[in-house]
Amino acid sequence: MRALALAALLAACNAPSSGPRFRAAGGEPRAGGTLRIAFPGAVSSLDPTIAYDELSFYVLHHLFDTLVDYAPGSFDPIPRLAERWEISDDGRTLRFWLRPGLTFADGKPIAAAHFKYSLERARTTPDSPFGPMLADVVGISAPSDRELVIALGAPNTAFLYVLAMPFATPQREDHVMAAGDNLRRMPLATGPYELGSWDEGQHIVLHEREGYFDPTRNRIGAIDVRENVPRDSQFLMLEAGELDTMMSPTPPDLLWVTSSAAWQPYVHRRSLLTTFGSRFDVTVKPFDDVRVRQALNYALDKSAIVKLLTGTATPAHGILVPGMLGFDDKLAPYPHDPAKAKALLAAAGYPDGFATTYVTTDDADASTLAQSLQADFAEVGVRVTIQQMSFATFATAIGKHGTPFAFVSWLADYPDPSNFLDTRFHSKSISEEGSLNASFYSNPALDALLDSARAERDPAQRAELYRRAERIVHDDAPWLWGYHSIATEVSQPYLKGFDQHPVWLRDFTTAWLDLDVDGERVRR
Amino acid sequence: MTHRGAVVGAILVGLLLVIALLGPHLAGHDPIARDIDRGLSAMGAPLGPSVDALLGTDHLGRDVWARLISGAGTSLWIAGLATLLALVIGLAVGLSAGYAGGWVDGVLMRGVDLVLSFPFLLLAILLAALLREAGLASSTAPVILTLAAVGWTTMARVIRGKAMTIARAEHVTAARALGASPLRIIVRHILPNVAGIVVVIALLGLAQALLAEAALSFLGLGPPPPAASWGRMLFEGRAYYRTSPHLVVAPGIAILVAVVAFNLLGEGLRDLLDPKERR
Repeated sequence: MRALALAALLAACNAPSSGPRFRAAGGEPRAGGTLRIAFPGAVSSLDPTIAYDELSFYVLHHLFDTLVDYAPGSFDPIPRLAERWEISDDGRTLRFWLRPGLTFADGKPIAAAHFKYSLERARTTPDSPFGPMLADVVGISAPSDRELVIALGAPNTAFLYVLAMPFATPQREDHVMAAGDNLRRMPLATGPYELGSWDEGQHIVLHEREGYFDPTRNRIGAIDVRENVPRDSQFLMLEAGELDTMMSPTPPDLLWVTSSAAWQPYVHRRSLLTTFGSRFDVTVKPFDDVRVRQALNYALDKSAIVKLLTGTATPAHGILVPGMLGFDDKLAPYPHDPAKAKALLAAAGYPDGFATTYVTTDDADASTLAQSLQADFAEVGVRVTIQQMSFATFATAIGKHGTPFAFVSWLADYPDPSNFLDTRFHSKSISEEGSLNASFYSNPALDALLDSARAERDPAQRAELYRRAERIVHDDAPWLWGYHSIATEVSQPYLKGFDQHPVWLRDFTTAWLDLDVDGERVRR
Repeated sequence: MTHRGAVVGAILVGLLLVIALLGPHLAGHDPIARDIDRGLSAMGAPLGPSVDALLGTDHLGRDVWARLISGAGTSLWIAGLATLLALVIGLAVGLSAGYAGGWVDGVLMRGVDLVLSFPFLLLAILLAALLREAGLASSTAPVILTLAAVGWTTMARVIRGKAMTIARAEHVTAARALGASPLRIIVRHILPNVAGIVVVIALLGLAQALLAEAALSFLGLGPPPPAASWGRMLFEGRAYYRTSPHLVVAPGIAILVAVVAFNLLGEGLRDLLDPKERR
């Protein structure tokens, strides 16, 4: 009888949910309304010097402005709190002039010294993860209230991107001191929104800031965030009209919205600054032989992974992400070619393959990748035992010798090739413990190329150097190249002007709500 | 009418048994092997029914028909073994209580009341979770033990009632007067007389166990993956109900048919075996 009821329920569910319940009112860009979103987890901290996770960043991005930002939909740096900047010819001195009349959320003026304070705070606060990004800085000074000078020990073209991260927002010492341990709950906003309320783990409300210098960046009046809402529940809320947009629907929901003509126009996709794959310890047999590493790259069927991730991935040919400087469109991913893999293995002295252990995390995507890899490698005679670990244990294990073959992922901090290639493949990133160059890959030719690219000022020349660098790592294959993930977002038709930002992703500063004259959502 | 029901039930049950026993030979595909290359669309969506896959594929590219057949084996095996176990306990408790009466009956039946006072599914979930914790997670044992542990009570009650009437019948009194031992009386004189009702409640119990097994599997407390079971197929397919309805329709109908079949057969047999209720 229960089965009958289920069948009836099914028929009932199938009928009405044909598409969004609300439509765009069709008006001109307008201010006002509340944007309702949800996060699958909790925000950890609103102290920009401490917070370093995806969900917190979505909130921080709306609370804090920095000297430099990215243009909408691109990786190009644009002035935000800075009016303009100059970089000296030797690339070692950066001079910024602030916009006039900038204020904190409490109305007090923003001065150059406040930027100096926040950069120093990032370097000296023990829990700050951002200290290493400022390693090149040798001096910070504020010659006047509107002028900031940063001196670098070595030229670093990517340093502008570092200054676009939320921790580089101006902070005021008296506020930091007064807030004490509550600083994580008491952000002093400098951006288009300020914190209204935060019921931790449940609900965050942001309000537009009165007197913010650019009223086109907070047209949405308030942002209402529910925390800890699982993604499948978020989708039901979206369908019921209780959410205005949601990120990363589960595979079945994604398949549904992409196959539904009514929803399809409101599905957004954007490549993330991430690369997933596996890394070989190139100092250990059999992975010290480049032919073995290439063979395994040929053995992996990346289209299967893309299918298992329901299209939210693109095959990778290297570590750089599509669309960024230095990404080479002409370089193709290793094709799935088991015959070639077998030939290379035979040439390397392993005609019958070998047995190895693959270390990975207990995350669902990692496990999907591992099982797919295991099946592919079996085809060429490589017998893989999968060993899954908690993320913390795993992170420690792959940072040192002892796990010759392991899952690897890289989530970039900013869209500069140096943050990918230098960090993961330069020999100076090798250390005994916690080695970011987890392959222990050392190639003087690559090092030299990366060093000159880092100091290069001409973007075209720089891109060419990184293309050459990436060709080297593609061929040498210290990694088993996997995929780049794609972020998906499904929105209501009345959310206009929203574009997943390539760096910030959930950026609502360009968006507005197309509601009727009373500010109500319009039923279709 | 009831005759016809019993016949239909018997045919369906027979068919189910044949399918469950011949499973692998009828499937044509491996129920467990993933087939990412051919079993999924370019987007990674399950495929609908086709000549190659009669009932389509699931989210890992596995053949739904093969899984349905393999699930018939799993589900019938679990429900059958659980019912058998429940029957053994139910017979022991019911016959002792019915024959002995008095305080033995009182104690045993209060035990039955105690178990019955818990909502069936809640108790099953609790037991299944506890047994999995106890390190049996990798087998079907927790589900079987759980279903037996909650299923024996109704059997004990029915058998006790029947045994009580028979224990007071003249032939039993005669046997006792001749000096037969209690065990001999129960086995030789009472058991044959409750056999009919035992078959009927076993079949009805089997239908219940099938449903309960599906419910537990749906809640993730059934046989561990990648083994196919109907409840688990429903669970895994439910999120795809809009794009790939076959993932829930197929196991849903299978559960429906199996439960109806056992119910029809059980009820038909009851009417056949119990002349008093025959019209």
